[in-house]
Amino acid sequence: MQQVDAASDAVMLADLVDVLIPSGDGWPSAAIVGVQGQLATRLIAEQGEAALPGLLKALRAAGAPFAGQADKQRDAIVSALERSEPELFAWVRDAVFIAYYESPFVAAAINAKGHPYKLRPHLTGYAVPRFDRTKDVPAQKRGHYVPTDQVRHVDISSLELESRVTTTWGRQR
Amino acid sequence: MKQNEACDILIIGAGATGSLAATVLAKAGLDVVCLEQGGWVEREDHPHYSNDWTWQRRTNWNADINKRHHPDDYKVVSDSSQVLMWNGVGGSTNVYGAIWPRYRPSDFRKGDEHGLQPNWPISYEELAPFYEAADRLVGVSGLEGDPAMPPREPCPTGPLPFTKAAATLAGAFDKLGWHWWPAEAGTISEDYDGRPACNGCGICNGCPRGSMSKYSLSVWPKALSAGTKLRTHARVLKIEKGRDGRATGALYQDRNTGIVEFQPATIVIVAANGVGTPRLLLASDNLANQSDQVGRNLLHHTLVSSEMWVDEQIDGHMGYVASLISREFAETDISRGFVNGFNFNCLTSTSSAGEVAAGWISDRRAPWGEGHHRWFERHFGHGIGIHAIGDDLPNPNNRVFLDPVVTDTNGMPVARMHYEPGENDRRMMNYMLDRLEDIAKAAGAFDYRLQDYKDENGVYRTPAWHMIGTCRMGDDPETSVVNKWQQSWDVPNLFIVDGSVLATGGVVNPTPTISALALRAAAYIRDHFQELKGSTKSVAA
Repeated sequence: MQQVDAASDAVMLADLVDVLIPSGDGWPSAAIVGVQGQLATRLIAEQGEAALPGLLKALRAAGAPFAGQADKQRDAIVSALERSEPELFAWVRDAVFIAYYESPFVAAAINAKGHPYKLRPHLTGYAVPRFDRTKDVPAQKRGHYVPTDQVRHVDISSLELESRVTTTWGRQR
Repeated sequence: MKQNEACDILIIGAGATGSLAATVLAKAGLDVVCLEQGGWVEREDHPHYSNDWTWQRRTNWNADINKRHHPDDYKVVSDSSQVLMWNGVGGSTNVYGAIWPRYRPSDFRKGDEHGLQPNWPISYEELAPFYEAADRLVGVSGLEGDPAMPPREPCPTGPLPFTKAAATLAGAFDKLGWHWWPAEAGTISEDYDGRPACNGCGICNGCPRGSMSKYSLSVWPKALSAGTKLRTHARVLKIEKGRDGRATGALYQDRNTGIVEFQPATIVIVAANGVGTPRLLLASDNLANQSDQVGRNLLHHTLVSSEMWVDEQIDGHMGYVASLISREFAETDISRGFVNGFNFNCLTSTSSAGEVAAGWISDRRAPWGEGHHRWFERHFGHGIGIHAIGDDLPNPNNRVFLDPVVTDTNGMPVARMHYEPGENDRRMMNYMLDRLEDIAKAAGAFDYRLQDYKDENGVYRTPAWHMIGTCRMGDDPETSVVNKWQQSWDVPNLFIVDGSVLATGGVVNPTPTISALALRAAAYIRDHFQELKGSTKSVAA
């Protein structure tokens, strides 16, 4: 009985990663390259033994299993998981994306799209043209610095740093 | 407790500055012992050789000690900052990016300029020869002649490749009329000092080849061949002080045997970084802290970032991680609404396709589902990252301190950190974000995303590579921890050579400056060792 459940769980996870990254235009799907196995292993390693059953439970609550569902409904299940468990979903999504692009089959697909991409570039590096002093030296001569003996006092009273408070800062202003 | 034979020089910490000090002092014939709580990081230990290196640098190779689980680390609890460091031989150079700009002369004179920061007790000119010496020792690449910096000697190796990302950005800066210059790097463009030239792999998160200066490969061999005795897995618990006010040595635990040992020394040098050093001093019965400045004035730099994507295929995953530096806004101009300046550290892109999809330095990521591949094909090979990094003002409440209750497995109080940007810093970061937007538009980016490092509750959670200022140098014992030779005001045979001594943060990555300062302090100790052997008073400013 347990084996049947385990198989169903594995299929459910495979279906999940395939909804996140389906196949298309030369790209293999996530399940085809085995992302679900990496996802399960890493989920347990980073978040503990209970994390995988927790994900499967959350998936079921969101409408899984996926088997027999139309594409639109499969997407709806994942959207429901995203809404109900945003933190868990974000972790799973990023883990799936990273595992997918660690696959040699996916690296081959990247190469086929015209990019020289290596999974382990450190071994042999990339061929990048050397700096060419005949054309790469900046032609512009902008820029200045204040030498030590020319540092002058600036009057900062107009800044009102003590009295004016910037309450909104960052991207949202 | 085991009592060891006394040495001339005890160095606590085998990171960048510990290795430099050891090299100088052992070469002078002094008996040098260095204690390091971590171990060696061998080439094969690095994740660079595995398909899953992207995942590893998010987990067990994460630079944030709170996101990995490593026995060499000690506990640091921060209510804001990400705590980025590596504990082991070579320290954080095992995981850094080695962007290699220098401070500028005005960075040393902020007291004169506006008075919201102290002057340094030394000038740029006093440090300049040590910048050159550090560059030769460490191995650096770059292009001389930048009009935005004082003249300097040519770098030991020429500039790294001028990538397509660099060319794209140079065009944008030209359109804006702003300064740019090829980035200087602690990465060699040609074979140098027995190490191979950069092969452009782009991972640049430490470099087990040693092309990027990992100090365990570039400096430690020199220190060891000069006779330094390096003891790894030796966690220092306390620096002891005698009745005469001098440090007598350090208590440490051999983590392999569990035995506590005492290492007596004539001179004690602390090189444990901007968190580890104040932690150790505070845990050593508040050593060297009559000023109450130990741990205070923690600086991280103001830091905001952007990612942009351009139509041209630039394949920024290839080549060294930094492309250009722009010093257009490096000096104070109060018409901008704040004091101090900032630089743009222009990058190439991440060398990981997975990070392009899952998000790199911004939260822009590929969608899941049907549109995933379309988004990836549009963005991969078209991205460029930029960090804007500025000079934050000191605040005594931004600090490293000890938890009054919680201790770690060695019985040492847990280090805590608090950091919050001030009014001037917030204004600067708003300005920086606006200028990052200008660059994206000038580059003709079809997509861009800004990063302010604020979490959902508005807390600024800077990826704080730069943990500096917590034992700052100065010319007044009331407001600083060490004098201009990095000698404790209170304990005359105690020196601090790590980044905690920086009086201001400048607008740049600090490792070149920290390295130059360490060489300068070590040369002072070497040249004055006989006087320092018996002195009970530190030299005046």
